[in-house]
Amino acid sequence: MANSDLLTYILLAPMAAFFATLVIPAKNTTAIKVANAVFSGVALVLSIVVFTAYDMAAGGYQMVTDIPWIDSIGIRYTVAVDGVGVVLVLLNAIVFFTGVLTMWTLTLRVKEYFAFMALLVFGVFGVFISLDVFIFFFFYEVAVLPMYPLIAIWGSTKKEYSAMKLTLYLMVGSALLFPGLIALFVAGGSGSWNIEFLAAAIQNQPEFQVFVYPFIYIGFGILAGMWPFHGWSPTGHVAAPTAVSMLHAGVLMKLGAFGILRIAIGILPHGAETWAPMFASFATVGIVYGAFVAMRQNDFKYVIGFSSVSHMGIVLLGLNTLAPDGTAGAVFQMFAHGIMTALFFSAVGFIYDQSHDRDIRNFGGLSKQVPIAAGFFIVASLCGMGVPGFASFWAEFLVFLQALASWPVLGVLAIVGLVFTALYALRVLGKAMFGPANPKWDHLKDATPWAMVPRVILIGVLILFGFFPSWILDLIHTTTGSN
Amino acid sequence: MAGMGDLTLFLPEAVVLLAALVAFVMAIFTTNYRNVWAATTFMAVAAVVVSILCIDFQGEPFFPGIYKVDLFSQLLKVGLTIGLALTMLVSRDLPSVRKSSHNDLPIFLTLGTLGMMMLVSATELLTLYVVLELSAYALYVMAALNRDQRMAGESGVKYLLFGAAASAVTLYGLSLIYGAVGSTMIVDVVHAEPTALLVVGVILTLSGLFFKLAVLPFHAWAPDTYQGAPHQVATFIGTSSKVAAVGILVRVLTMSLDSDAVQTLLIALAVVSMTIGNLAALAQKDLKRLLAWSTVAHAGYILLGLLTLSEMGMAAAIFYGLTYLVIAFAAFLAVVAVSPKGENPSLESLKGLYRRAPLVGVVLLAGMFGLAGVPPTPGFTGKWFVFSAALDSHYFWLVLIGAVNATISLYYYLRVVRYAYQTVPDGDAEGSAPMKVALPTQLAAWVAMAIIAVVGFYPGPLWDLARGAAKVLLGAAGG
Repeated sequence: MANSDLLTYILLAPMAAFFATLVIPAKNTTAIKVANAVFSGVALVLSIVVFTAYDMAAGGYQMVTDIPWIDSIGIRYTVAVDGVGVVLVLLNAIVFFTGVLTMWTLTLRVKEYFAFMALLVFGVFGVFISLDVFIFFFFYEVAVLPMYPLIAIWGSTKKEYSAMKLTLYLMVGSALLFPGLIALFVAGGSGSWNIEFLAAAIQNQPEFQVFVYPFIYIGFGILAGMWPFHGWSPTGHVAAPTAVSMLHAGVLMKLGAFGILRIAIGILPHGAETWAPMFASFATVGIVYGAFVAMRQNDFKYVIGFSSVSHMGIVLLGLNTLAPDGTAGAVFQMFAHGIMTALFFSAVGFIYDQSHDRDIRNFGGLSKQVPIAAGFFIVASLCGMGVPGFASFWAEFLVFLQALASWPVLGVLAIVGLVFTALYALRVLGKAMFGPANPKWDHLKDATPWAMVPRVILIGVLILFGFFPSWILDLIHTTTGSN
Repeated sequence: MAGMGDLTLFLPEAVVLLAALVAFVMAIFTTNYRNVWAATTFMAVAAVVVSILCIDFQGEPFFPGIYKVDLFSQLLKVGLTIGLALTMLVSRDLPSVRKSSHNDLPIFLTLGTLGMMMLVSATELLTLYVVLELSAYALYVMAALNRDQRMAGESGVKYLLFGAAASAVTLYGLSLIYGAVGSTMIVDVVHAEPTALLVVGVILTLSGLFFKLAVLPFHAWAPDTYQGAPHQVATFIGTSSKVAAVGILVRVLTMSLDSDAVQTLLIALAVVSMTIGNLAALAQKDLKRLLAWSTVAHAGYILLGLLTLSEMGMAAAIFYGLTYLVIAFAAFLAVVAVSPKGENPSLESLKGLYRRAPLVGVVLLAGMFGLAGVPPTPGFTGKWFVFSAALDSHYFWLVLIGAVNATISLYYYLRVVRYAYQTVPDGDAEGSAPMKVALPTQLAAWVAMAIIAVVGFYPGPLWDLARGAAKVLLGAAGG
């Protein structure tokens, strides 16, 4: 295909935003924001082009760019997308663009904020399109590290503690990945880091696969919020500023799940089979546990934080079914959850920015005081419950269907967890959005049309793919196959 | 290949020697330190250019077998001259050096560099010992130049005593090697039967060299010397001297290929060094002490590459050493820049750095992320290569230990970043006023950042050079 450089341009868009941010003087905050909006817009447009240009009939990896990087050790800059990559690139672009718009009101150290954020997005794009293990991990680390300053400087509620906790947790994951990933290279004959090449080369080494699989699965799983290594996630979400929460829960956690899909399961299918019962159980515990804990939280963001653990559990359960439908559902859930959580945090951020309070008990009847802002939150909650008409319905439906077939007991448990999901979501809605209004918040201003833009985009995407799930599922199926 | 006596091969060293002479003569005839500094800095930059131009030279300028110029030595010489030039750039103002000694510093910096440059070319054990001492004496003197007499004394004496002891051990090791082989040429030693006597000799020789790299348990001088030495000297010890140490270790280790005893020793030292170095660094409040302990940890990572005794491992160690030079320099530059009066910066004194001196803040960030091994700095690539080499030799658990250690180190590196970037300085005017950074220091900052960024994103060429250097070295040893 002629537009094979497209992916590199997408990758360069946040880099351009990064450099533009560095060049523009710190005082000129509006220029910085405009530059970031423009470049994130470019990334979004290019992502949509990729989304439409991907040839579903042909399938496989497309738009390949392959340049030697450190040739003598087999490292190459190989980027390409398959159906899964296309979807996740689009997700990242949407969240980046809406994230920039959401932070339009930022006043504290604007320049550094956008520089770090652009760097983070750069890393995320890189991971989603990498087909070389070294480049993959390179971008993975680039994406993870900016979280530290982003939370520690612009965050709230125990921000330094949360930032350090998050970083150390994720770096423990990297510590497992280091030997795991390099072992793949060595086992593949020390010639190439290419993911497809490694998958073929390690095919016939079942014992090695079983040995190395947990290192890579847990290494990536920590970032995916896998139970019992999810501890960083709720505190990190709570402390992070709005757009960082959006990126973090919306996109960054997906990096972990994507790593599991692309590298752990993709290169080590035999290892995956052996370990699936255990990791599927972990995922199920995560679903139920996350929902359970979310019921008892009084902070908006903690509720969402634990709901993320629960929802990422669904993703991991889907991946661990190792069946086409489960995997497709998991990927769809990655997309849907990414958009939904971005909307969640965006909605909460809007209320918090004015009230500087996030305690659910202090609110009530927000739907009367700020109907539009509350509307965003309600939509996100409904989506979180998996109500039909939203994208996440199809995703969860597929995962649970396959889970019931593959692991009947776990499937039933996970569906029970869904009941709790509905419970905590409705509890928040009932307490904060409806019921008697708290006069203290009568002064809150509702969303202006400008502030509505990013939220409306997110809702639009959720509904669009809620009604036309096949647009995404057909893409994903080109990678996973269908049964 | 150029024949014996071709003195153009000696060009990089000659320029540095000339620089030392220039510094010496000028120090006699002028009392103005600025002039000495300007002349020496100019010579140091010239030395970098000459070294880069001479990188393809190979041959033996003196008697055969004693002094070898090859890709390995030339590559490290480029690193060493860059280290010298960068250190000179941040030495225009020397608030931490006692006034009467200002003119001495350039002399010893250049002499020390000369010794190190000859060290990486030495292929005969006695030559090796002599140039080892040449580089060491310069460092001993400089370590004691602090304006604070008590600190100067402690730093200088500790460095000298530990250094002398290590040197004695090395000398004893060398004598055993000679006893076992009957020759002082490294080539002869490589081809000799690995008798027990020879292995003991090599191990003792290594022990003396571990002192230079600050490998545990030969590290005890590092924290106190780093803390007590003037900032510029600590910079030099923490950067150039480490490259020289890697170079000479690689050279000596070619003598012990296939020795299980040496390998086992290296494994043990690597693990201990990484772990203790990182754990001790966690507790430090003085930035220079923190960097000293982090050096100990990094020595452990470098050993991880060396202990494979393979071409890839050696290449990884060389790559790691060279990139470490620039990364550690970035960190030390911040030490120099944040102490206009020459005091030792504590972590607390970094507060609000991002606002007081944005450039220094960014350099410190680059240095810390580089030391932590985070992309897109070459620290990440270096770790990746070292770990790859170790795994290629099937040291899976060793790599896991290394990677876990890297995680531990992240805590204290990030703590530095946190102080610099996040904590707002206290109300007093002095603590929050913008900082003046000398122009040459700014220049050095930009150079260091440029190297970090370029090598970080595009490590290929440097890696190929390191690979080529390791090949030359092992090829010479094997054939």
